[in-house]
Amino acid sequence: MIGFILADLRRFKGGALAVVVLIALSLALSVTVTLQERALRLGSARAAEKFDLVVGAAGSETQLALSAVFLQPAPLPLMSGSVLADLASDPRVAFAAPVGFGDSASGHPVVGTTTALIEALSPKLAQGALFAHLGDAVVGSDVGMPIGGQIKPMHGDGESGGPVHTELAYTVRGRMAPTGTAWDRAILVPIRAVWQLHGMHGGGDDHDEDDDDHHPDDEGAQAGDATAAGPVAGAAQDKAPGLADAGGDRDHEGHAHHHHGHVDGNAPIDEHFDAQTPGIPAVLVKPRTIADAYKLRQHYRGDTTLAIFPAEVLTRLYATLGDARSLLLAIAIATQGIVLAAVLMVTIMHVGARQRQIGALRAFGAPRYSVVAIVWGELILLFLLGAVLGVALGYAAARLISGSVAARTAVHMPIEFAPQDLRLLLGFLLASMLISLLPALLALRHSPAQALRA
Amino acid sequence: MLALDIHDLTMRFDGLDAPVLAIDRLHVKAGSRVAVTGASGSGKSTLVHLLTGLERPKAGSIRWGGSDLGRLSTGRRDAFRARNIGLVMQDFHLFPGLSALENVLLPVRLGWRMTPDMRKRALALLDITGIARAGQPVETLSRGEMQRVAVARALLLKPSVIIADEPTASLDRRAGEDVSALLVRLAGEEGATLIVVTHDPALLTRLDRHIHLDGGRIVEDVRGEAAR
Ligand SMILES: Nc1ncnc2c1ncn2[C@@H]1O[C@H](COP(=O)(O)OP(=O)(O)O)[C@@H](O)[C@H]1O
Ligand SMILES: [Mg+2]
Repeated sequence: MIGFILADLRRFKGGALAVVVLIALSLALSVTVTLQERALRLGSARAAEKFDLVVGAAGSETQLALSAVFLQPAPLPLMSGSVLADLASDPRVAFAAPVGFGDSASGHPVVGTTTALIEALSPKLAQGALFAHLGDAVVGSDVGMPIGGQIKPMHGDGESGGPVHTELAYTVRGRMAPTGTAWDRAILVPIRAVWQLHGMHGGGDDHDEDDDDHHPDDEGAQAGDATAAGPVAGAAQDKAPGLADAGGDRDHEGHAHHHHGHVDGNAPIDEHFDAQTPGIPAVLVKPRTIADAYKLRQHYRGDTTLAIFPAEVLTRLYATLGDARSLLLAIAIATQGIVLAAVLMVTIMHVGARQRQIGALRAFGAPRYSVVAIVWGELILLFLLGAVLGVALGYAAARLISGSVAARTAVHMPIEFAPQDLRLLLGFLLASMLISLLPALLALRHSPAQALRA
Repeated sequence: MLALDIHDLTMRFDGLDAPVLAIDRLHVKAGSRVAVTGASGSGKSTLVHLLTGLERPKAGSIRWGGSDLGRLSTGRRDAFRARNIGLVMQDFHLFPGLSALENVLLPVRLGWRMTPDMRKRALALLDITGIARAGQPVETLSRGEMQRVAVARALLLKPSVIIADEPTASLDRRAGEDVSALLVRLAGEEGATLIVVTHDPALLTRLDRHIHLDGGRIVEDVRGEAAR
C-alpha cells in the first residue's frame, strides 16, 4: 500500500511538490503570526519584568512604559527631583533609580542613572566595574565599545544629528551581562553627568538660563571640538573654570556643582538625592514587597506624578494589539481554507483524470477500501509533509523576524511553541483528513467497467 | 475450476433501445477453453464485464458454480472476482513506477492478502512467463513482456476462471503467439476455465469451443473443432 502510494507520488512529483509547498506556505503564515505574536508578548513581558514600578511626571502611561522598558526616544515631561529623594528614602523601596534620557552615541541611547539600576539589570558585570566618576560609563552587552573606549554623547537620538556635547566624553568602565532587553543596547552613565551636561543643577529649577546659552556654545564649538581627538578628560579640564576647583571636587562629597555647562569627568559620583535634585523624566522603583508595590503606585498616582506597572501597561497595550493579531490569524486561516479548497479541486481533477487506473485497480482485485485508502493516504501524506514543512518554515520565519528585532532593539523575543499550538496543528490535520475523504470516496463512484473501456 | 451457467441474460445501456447483449442459455463446462468472436460492437466486452462481475445484468442470471453474480452486491462481486477470476485485458493495465514483481503482487498487497508464499509464486510465474528480471520497472518492458506480466498477475491466486479480452490484439504476431501459448498452457496446468475474446487465429486454434456473437446474440456455437 505505502509502496504503491510512494510510487504513485513519484510519478506525479511536480504536482505533489506544488501541493506540498502550497500547504506549507499557507500553514507557515499562521505559524509565523502565532509565534511572533507570542514572542512579542513574552519578549516584552520579560523586558518589563525587571522594572516593577515606574514613576514619572503626569502624562501618557504608555509612553512612560515604552520609554522605560524599550528606551524608546520620546520627549517625556520632567517631574520634580524631590520625588526621587522621597522614593530613595521610602522604607517600602528596595531601590529607586532615576533615569535621564535624551542623549545618544553611535546610535545607542545614553541613559543617565545610578549604580543601583546597573546592579539590578546585571547583578554581575560581564566585564569591568561600575561607574565611580562622572565621566565613567557602563555599556549594555550589545554595545560594541571596548573597555576604556571613549564615548562622545550627542544631543538627541543620533538620527537627527543633534549637537555633540563637547564638555564631556565618557570612558567605558564596565559591560553588563546580556539581559535580553533594550537596555543591552544602552550606554549607562551617572545621572549627575547628564544633568550637568544639560546645565541642570540642584536647586529645584529644571532649566536654568545656562541651558539656553550652552547650546549655541555647543554649536559654535562643534566644528572644532567634534573632530578633536585629543584626550577628552584634558579637554574637559581645559574648559573648566579652574583646575584646582576640579581637583577639589574629587575629595569632598559636595552636592552642588558650580560648573556651567562644563563637566569634570574625574569627579566622584554622588548617588544621594535630596529635594534639591534636578527634574527627571522617570524613576525606576523596586518595591520591597508586592503589597508595597501597590501602595507605592497608589501613592504616586496624582496630579503631578504617574506610577505604573510597565508589565500591566504593556499587557493592556497588547490586548488592543490582540485585535490585529486576530485579524492576521483570520487572514492566515482563510488562506488555509483557500489552499484546502484548491488542493481539493486539484485532487478531484486528478482522481477524475485517473479513473482508468483506479478502475483497473478494482478490476484486478483490489478491494474498494484499498482504493479509498490509496487516494486518501496520498493526500494525507502530502498534507503531513506540507504541515511539517509549514511549521518549519513558519518557525524559521519567526526566528528571522525575532532576530532582526533583537538586532535593532536588543529586545529578545523568544520563539516558543505552546501546547495550544499542537491543538491548532491537530485541528488542521483533522480537517485535512476529513477533506481528503471527499476525493477518496469520489474515486469509488466511477465504475471499473467504464474505466476499462476508456 | 468453475462451470458457467447463463439464463435469460439481457444487458441494456441507458439510451439504447436494443439490448447490447441477450443470451437465453449458455453453459460452459468447468475447465473448458472457450473463444468468443464477433464484430466490433457485438457485445463481447460487455459479456466479459458481466462474466467478471464488473457490471450487473439488467435481467437474468450469471452463475459461476453456485454464486449468481447478479444477486451479489458490488463489494461481493469485487471479492468474488478477486478470489476466483484472473483477468487479462487488451491493454495490460499495469502500473508504471512499479516493478514487474510489484505489479503481479499489487492486487494481493492492496487486499492485505500478501504472504511469503505469494511472493515465491509471483517470482515463479514471472519465471515461467519469461520475464528475466522481476525487479525491472514495468514501463521499460516490451509490449509482449507487459502482457506476460499481466498473465502472471491473473494467475497469482490460482483462479478457477481466466477471462481475457483480446489479449493479443495490441501485440505483434510473435509476441501474440507467445502470449497465446502461455495463456492456454497455464490455464490448462492450473485447471482453470478459460474464456477468451479474440480474433487471433493463432489463439483461436488453441481453444476448443468457439462462440460467435452478433448484435449481442449467440449466432454460432462450435465445439471440438479447434486443437484437432
Ligand atoms: N456504457 C455504455 N453506454 C452505452 N452504450 C454502451 C456502453 N458500453 C458499451 N456500449 C455499447 O454496447 C455495444 C457493445 O459494446 P462492446 O461490448 O464493447 O462491444 P465489443 O467489445 O464487441 O466491440 C456497443 O455498441 C457500445 O457502443
Ligand atoms: Mg471490446
